Amino acid sequence: MTQIPEKMTLAEFEQRLPEFFATGTGSISDDPRLQAFLSENPDAAALVRDFESIVEAAKGLFEVGDAEPSDAVWQNIQNELKSAPPEDEGSGPAPATTPA
Amino acid sequence: MQETTNADLETAAAPIPAVAPPAKPNSGLFKRNPPIAGEADAIERAKNGDPDAFSKLYALHKRRVYTLCLRMLGNVSEAEDMTQEAFLHLFRKLGSFRGESAFSTWLHRLTVNLVLMHLRKKGLNLVSLEETINPSEEDAPKRDFGSRDPMLAGSVDRVALERAVATLPPGYRMVFVLHDVEGFEHNEIAAMLECSTGNSKSQLHKARLKLRELLRQTEQTAPPAQTKEAVQ
Repeated sequence: MTQIPEKMTLAEFEQRLPEFFATGTGSISDDPRLQAFLSENPDAAALVRDFESIVEAAKGLFEVGDAEPSDAVWQNIQNELKSAPPEDEGSGPAPATTPA
Repeated sequence: MQETTNADLETAAAPIPAVAPPAKPNSGLFKRNPPIAGEADAIERAKNGDPDAFSKLYALHKRRVYTLCLRMLGNVSEAEDMTQEAFLHLFRKLGSFRGESAFSTWLHRLTVNLVLMHLRKKGLNLVSLEETINPSEEDAPKRDFGSRDPMLAGSVDRVALERAVATLPPGYRMVFVLHDVEGFEHNEIAAMLECSTGNSKSQLHKARLKLRELLRQTEQTAPPAQTKEAVQ
């Protein structure tokens, strides 16, 4: 984990924040080494909490959303595969007519 | 649809190996890409030429691949084209998948590389991505230390975040999607985007700042009935 100086300005904190997030092992807002600084600087604490909320919500975006490609995509894949046989490296299968 | 040569595809896959070295599997991505029931069997059957097995792989992964393309490109038509390209490339390269990383991870890397190559073809190849992923000043997040900052009302709504991500400048969006959504490490992103690790961290920080700004705007303009206070 990155060394945290005893005294930091808000600007210095923001400058170091990407590194704190990149090298931290858990929640930054719970890091004991930052507690004094964050309690003295509510804007910094708010920024950290907001970033943590965004990061947490972003993990949820990894799960499949509602969006899916149109049927034309699979149709185009089939057409392409019919016209271009597989290369030697990938012994690809003949195209199926509909996705399973 | 844009023509893509096989040589181009090989180049696209070059920065990040399509199959991760066996000694260094990305444990984070393994955790986020648990095996799907029936997937291993479908992969083996598809490798052996079973067309139904390939269609099953398409059915299993089309939404994730498409969503990834859509998030990276922000454009439905291009996302569909790249989804098509990704599965065509998968079809050709499936034989080289050795199972040393999760299949989803392998497919995601393949897709990311194809999308990046597509973006370079659109013009980003003339200058390094290190420069071009930096958005213009007006798109940059506002530095608001020094004045009282209203923080977000609480946990971030996924739909609001999805919308905000879609409006990010492309460079910010790319790094945010790769790191915070897809789970790639900064060194992996740096290799894929051909930029420094520090640049990747910096872009991610700016992306989060910009998202915070966008989400706060959304909260401020939301009708009272949709605010958390009104609901509670």
